[in-house]
Amino acid sequence: MRFWDDISWILPARKSTQERDRQPRRRWNLAILCAIPFCLLACGNQGHPLISAPAITVGSTLASEQILNRHLEADPRTLDPSLLTDVVGQRVLDDVFEGLVTLDEQGHNAPGVATSWETSSDGKTWTFQLRDNAKWSNGLPVTADDFVYAWRRQVDPATGSEYSQALAPIENAMDAAAGKMPPSKLGVESAGPHTLVVHLRAPTAYLLSLLTNAYLGPIYEPAVKQWGDSWTQPGHLISNGPFLLSERVINGHITLDKNPYYWDAGRVRLTKVIYHTVGDNDATTSQYLAGNLDFTNRFNVSETELLKQVLGSQVVLSTSFATAMFNYNFAKPPFQGNAKLRLALNMAVDREILENYVDHGVGIPAYNMIPPLEGYTQAIPDWAKLSPDARHALARKTYQEAGYSDAHPLEAVLTYASGGPGTRRYMEALSAMWLMNLGAKVQIYNEEWKVFLQARQMKQPEFYWAAWSGDFPDPFTFMQLYQTGFGMNEGSYSNPKYDALVDQAAGMQDGPARFAVFHQAEEILNEDAPFLPVYYYVNPHLIKPYVKGWQANLSDRNLSRYMYILTHQES
Amino acid sequence: MLRYAISRLLGAIPTILVIITLAFLLLHAAPGGPFDSQKKIPPEIKQNIERKYHLDEPLYGQYVRYLGGILQGDFGPSYQYRDTTVNEIIREGFPIDIAIGGCALAGALLVGLPIGIMAALRRDTGWDHASMGFSMIGISLPVFVVAPILILIFAVNFRWLPAGGWGTGSLKNVILPAAALAAPYIAYVARLMRGSMVEVLNSPFILMARAKGVPQYLVILRHALKPALMPLVSFLGPAVVGVITGSIVIETIFGLPGIGRAFVDGALNRDYTLVLGVTILYGVLIVFFNLLADLSYSVLDPRVRY
Repeated sequence: MRFWDDISWILPARKSTQERDRQPRRRWNLAILCAIPFCLLACGNQGHPLISAPAITVGSTLASEQILNRHLEADPRTLDPSLLTDVVGQRVLDDVFEGLVTLDEQGHNAPGVATSWETSSDGKTWTFQLRDNAKWSNGLPVTADDFVYAWRRQVDPATGSEYSQALAPIENAMDAAAGKMPPSKLGVESAGPHTLVVHLRAPTAYLLSLLTNAYLGPIYEPAVKQWGDSWTQPGHLISNGPFLLSERVINGHITLDKNPYYWDAGRVRLTKVIYHTVGDNDATTSQYLAGNLDFTNRFNVSETELLKQVLGSQVVLSTSFATAMFNYNFAKPPFQGNAKLRLALNMAVDREILENYVDHGVGIPAYNMIPPLEGYTQAIPDWAKLSPDARHALARKTYQEAGYSDAHPLEAVLTYASGGPGTRRYMEALSAMWLMNLGAKVQIYNEEWKVFLQARQMKQPEFYWAAWSGDFPDPFTFMQLYQTGFGMNEGSYSNPKYDALVDQAAGMQDGPARFAVFHQAEEILNEDAPFLPVYYYVNPHLIKPYVKGWQANLSDRNLSRYMYILTHQES
Repeated sequence: MLRYAISRLLGAIPTILVIITLAFLLLHAAPGGPFDSQKKIPPEIKQNIERKYHLDEPLYGQYVRYLGGILQGDFGPSYQYRDTTVNEIIREGFPIDIAIGGCALAGALLVGLPIGIMAALRRDTGWDHASMGFSMIGISLPVFVVAPILILIFAVNFRWLPAGGWGTGSLKNVILPAAALAAPYIAYVARLMRGSMVEVLNSPFILMARAKGVPQYLVILRHALKPALMPLVSFLGPAVVGVITGSIVIETIFGLPGIGRAFVDGALNRDYTLVLGVTILYGVLIVFFNLLADLSYSVLDPRVRY
């Protein structure tokens, strides 16, 4: 009998007794049919039956072809530094432009276009000396005026920048952005072609970190004048970074070539960097396995264990400066004016269980807001150090003191933005923990992202998802979120003592004393519990063993300038 | 026929106008705006941006301005991709959708038609059941199952083809996405063709031809094929648009820079102009290909006259 004769089970026609007798065998055939693709997949691999990766032997010399295929998890919204808002755009612009300050291989601040800087005694005036060999990609020198132009353009209302508030520490920036003052009043001026003077509203300890961002880099004015809005197109864009834009396909790829005019071009080893936009996490993994990507910024984290088995040390999980939290709404019952209730909910969450069993170990359990940061002592609440049983008991006691019991349980709604199935699973686990550990009935409710954002801005949800990723490695980027009247303080938390401490620290010059004040402020947050922290984010990367010259860092910025490719062979 | 075509085209104008108006109103009615983000923008700065894009004007003013732009072939600036216009996004992305969709449809016809005809000729044999059985699987298996399996086999395991991306748009970048997209269409075409061929082969004029002693291949090619293609043509009109617009899932899985993905991202980010531009394009395509299908009836069936 030919094999296809047996596939007649698919057709409803021709039912005969003879056929019905063959039923069990037909099911067997179905099994074989379904198994074919999986058998094919299993061909020629040693690791997991479903995915495989060739073993890679890495040599110790530079590969002859220095081309790096990097990954973007979304397509950049713009390559105009003044309009930059997204992380993916930042990744590309980190390679294309260079500011006064840049990042070194470890992600620490390092001299960029500026070779040195000094601060006035009050910390409000900074003078930067620019290197005289910094050049634009057309060979002309980069001058202090190029920075003045770029920064004024950033705050100019006509530019329509969504992130001009990033320049807030600079004198008159917010007034200029609001159109109350001309951009020329911005506190930045050139004192000669290679000297830039910046006037600040108050001492700003994180200024150098801020200056590493592309939106504070220089812009070549004649290109903007000549091309208007299309000045960022390949062929039009004049930049000063280690690489030049040579091709851009929206939602496809961005190709960068080495910039021969870059002042440190001699030490840049890559000749070409191709950024591929792959939004889907599963597609990212398969493109990496197929060899199309050398360095990814994401993968499907639910496959972490599996990928570790197959890829070993190519799976890199690095800590990031971001925390997943939930905010309580202080303008609405039941959380308004009931710190004990908020604390009880915070204590009842078993973060270790969530991270190990629900979130696949790709977040780090968090009991406070500020992620681990060099030099900063985190304020961890005392209850976090208790054993789970003792913590649950304390949570129940606090819950009762807050006025709730089994007879009169808390009924609340937790709102979050729709994400993948993992998000839903996480929320369900949380809700179950409150029910189990306290008897509280917290319903979960999801909304589409923009709808969710609008609801938050209108202060509608009583308890909601509020993750935050720090703009620069400094506690202030988190601390300002809970200051009275701050735009993003949507939960309307207010504590004058906290506000005063944050203001005090913000005005101090960098040093341990400043961090100590932030620590005090964070302790107040732990008592008031305006939010519920759950985990610090982790940056999941897949990196080929032959890609060198990067180091995992808090801000997850790895400049291609330092990277290189070693000889390698796949088998 | 020309008069019919022109009257149909003129008739399409109000249809498209309704599409534009509805899409415009629905988009603006959706909660949240294009420049809402988690990092809240101070109100004065938000006003600056809205002024730049005329979003501060009353809705009817924006509508009139938008229609004026369309008449000049300008779909406006994209809000999501801030240094790009909608025209540029469509100009770059649409050829990719056409390439993938076109190859998929061509493949579906090249494979589906012979399978269907063979099945009809060998009705109730093993070949018939096998091919119709496989086509049932093709219809039932969703693209998001077929595509990753193809990637795992041909890109990850054998490394014959790239796992995704468009590169320079060479054939090897097209094969996998087109194959994944074609799978269900092969099945549709084969089943449609089998059905109509069986029907035609039973008609008296085929019996007549056979009685005259016309050889089998000529009976099929000269007499049976043309009338048997009629149902397929009705299917092809919408199918052409379907393969071009329906590649959103394919684009996501293969990381292709087509407009389908930009369309979905645009909707999520309230990129009004991008979504409107692509909606209009899709609307025009549907109207145009349906007209083309109607016109081709008269070529295939002499009884149809316009």
